[in-house]
Amino acid sequence: MDTAFTLLAGSSRRLVAELRDALDSCAERQRQLERSLRVSRRLLRAWEPAETLAPEPTPGPETNEEAPSAACIPSPQDLKELELLTQALEKAVRVRKGISKAGEGNKAPSLKSGSIATSPATRASYPPSTSHRAGSRASETKPPRGILQTRVPTKDLPERRLLSVGDQACMGQGAGATKPKSGLRNEQIVLSAASQAPEAFTLKDKGILLQLPEAFRKAASRNSRLWAQLSSTQTSDSVDAATTAKTQFLQKMQTTSGWPGPRLSATEVEAEVRHLQKACLLLRLRMGEELTAVVEQQLGPWPEGRFPRASLPCGGGADPIWSPQLLLYSSTQELQTLAALRLRVAMLHQQIHLEKVLMAELLPLVSKQEPLGPPWLALCRAVHSLLCEGGQRFLTILREDKPAD
Amino acid sequence: MGRRRRRRRVDPADAARALPEAIAALSQTLPAGPSPETFRRAKFDRPEAAPALWRLLFRVLSPQLADGASASFSPEAQVRSVKLALRTQGYPRRALAQLPDDGSQGGRELLLALAWLLARGPLPERLLTQNRVQLGDEMPVCECEALASPGPPAPSVEADGCVDIRHLQWLMGKLRFRWRNLMASQQEQCALLGKIHSYTRGCHSDRSLGHLSVTETELLRDPEGGRQLLRRLERENARLQAALEWRRRELVFWRWMVGGRGPQWSAARTALREAVGQDLAALRQACERGGGCSLAQPHGPHRLVRTEAGAPGGPGLRAPEVIEALRSQEARLEVVLRQLQGQCRQELARLVGAPPGPVWILPPGR
Repeated sequence: MDTAFTLLAGSSRRLVAELRDALDSCAERQRQLERSLRVSRRLLRAWEPAETLAPEPTPGPETNEEAPSAACIPSPQDLKELELLTQALEKAVRVRKGISKAGEGNKAPSLKSGSIATSPATRASYPPSTSHRAGSRASETKPPRGILQTRVPTKDLPERRLLSVGDQACMGQGAGATKPKSGLRNEQIVLSAASQAPEAFTLKDKGILLQLPEAFRKAASRNSRLWAQLSSTQTSDSVDAATTAKTQFLQKMQTTSGWPGPRLSATEVEAEVRHLQKACLLLRLRMGEELTAVVEQQLGPWPEGRFPRASLPCGGGADPIWSPQLLLYSSTQELQTLAALRLRVAMLHQQIHLEKVLMAELLPLVSKQEPLGPPWLALCRAVHSLLCEGGQRFLTILREDKPAD
Repeated sequence: MGRRRRRRRVDPADAARALPEAIAALSQTLPAGPSPETFRRAKFDRPEAAPALWRLLFRVLSPQLADGASASFSPEAQVRSVKLALRTQGYPRRALAQLPDDGSQGGRELLLALAWLLARGPLPERLLTQNRVQLGDEMPVCECEALASPGPPAPSVEADGCVDIRHLQWLMGKLRFRWRNLMASQQEQCALLGKIHSYTRGCHSDRSLGHLSVTETELLRDPEGGRQLLRRLERENARLQAALEWRRRELVFWRWMVGGRGPQWSAARTALREAVGQDLAALRQACERGGGCSLAQPHGPHRLVRTEAGAPGGPGLRAPEVIEALRSQEARLEVVLRQLQGQCRQELARLVGAPPGPVWILPPGR
């Protein structure tokens, strides 16, 4: 009975190879996804303080306009202190303007507020001397630098600590969502590495405080510009002349090949067939026929040797040049739907390909065997399951037993 | 024929500079590009130029290798790999295969091979695209790339022998399981992306993007990684700039390669080949673009951008459109699959024979 399920060596090798290839490509996608998941999960947890805090003792706040990227990226601890300072400054500005939320009393002062706009109110007793200094500091705002500088003028150190200590007692409430942001970004903030920040940085709470370093921003926008330029330099007079010269060169290569007659490579044949398939499909569409369902079946099976996948009438050539393109989504659910559909389409392509391979290998097998014996029926049942039910379900076969003689 | 040709009066000093500048641009945009002097030596078939060109061709023909990985291949292995790759792509000249495997000779032939690769397609751009620095969270809007990958290699004759069909069923089940896992992981990743995009809204200097991507946020979390990313970005910028330079100057390179036209060429024949070649290229492009057909859809990886509810958003594809296109693709493919399965059912029924054969009770729930 076991021999019924055994397939001929040739077919089985091809089938196993195809299935293994399908499994491998799934595994590869999974690996890439897992890599991305690791990174994303880590970003959403509390960030570890960076090994290299970058407080460099420099003489003054205006040392360099174009800070090197190394020193520009703030550690989570620095960001923490940045926020404390900013809140203190916010408070100072409000006190100065006479807008006082002093009466509201102190709820639980903690940095774990969901966002700045919803953090608890401040206490009344804000030291006026501190506010004075904070006020004067506020007037020192430099033009928008865009990065969080972390430099420590040593002369300011005692002052810094006072502020920090004071701040822990009166957690400020930002005047609004936008104010703290500009406050952070416009000022030369001076931090002390000595004071301990109570909380680690989380993206959820403090994400909107982040800003990319200047060097990176410049490189990124240049990058985007260059790509756009590159993908648009396809038509120009000099390109035409170059194309002509290239064609001449290729012809010359062909005629001095040393081979008798023209030769085509495997790659070229595949590429040509793909182009022809696409052209066929487009022609049929233009004639208003029914779509892929008909065409794919009529394009016929593939020859042995290489097993190319079904081609897609997708608008892409053999080597498209990348250019920056955006895909806008408005909700997580929308994104999930899109991604799920993409996977579903990929899976269907794979299923269709496997179905064709299975048909090509298994149907001849069934027709070659001795019909109607029990082993053959078992094989039929197995083949039916694979071919007609995706291997998920099995049919039942009822058979009249011949009466014993 | 003369219509497309531009004759330029060129200052001899400019002309002398033009070729090295073109080659310098080419060398800078390619990975592992040798100096213009090496190119010149190669044209005169000087032996010292050969190793550098073998290395260059190896890098160019195996772009999937990481930057330092070439070093782990011996010179002989690189030579053999280059020969195989060129043969597969249809390199027309026999002389290349006859070069010694130790990589000591062949500068001139290798230069021809490089030029042949450059003439057939936008090689520098393709290499840059394959290894480009991804700054955004990207999602392809089509499955072209996945489908373009070759199938499994033709299986070699193995000692495995025969296989049980139940093993195939098991493999199918395993495949189904992997797809389910993939779906679940994908959904989780989308949820995380949604959060990261939300939490960093307003942080990007580029207003059309608005929020940070995972890569950008990661560079803030990990300054050392950020520095490496910046270096990679700057290297890519240099190569992109060089590619643009190359495109501006490459004509002089081609004239250098073609040299004088041989006596067997006639003007009319050239014109005819050009015209036919251009027509074919145009037709190909039209096919590739899907020229006006309703099935044409955008292609390639797109950077994900989360827009605030109600905001119109700037240029770019909208997710609902892509979803629509994917849904109709899905529906079409399901039809194809069901038709194939239906064909199988009919065929099997035929093979089993009409009653009074055994009775087939199909599984429920379809």
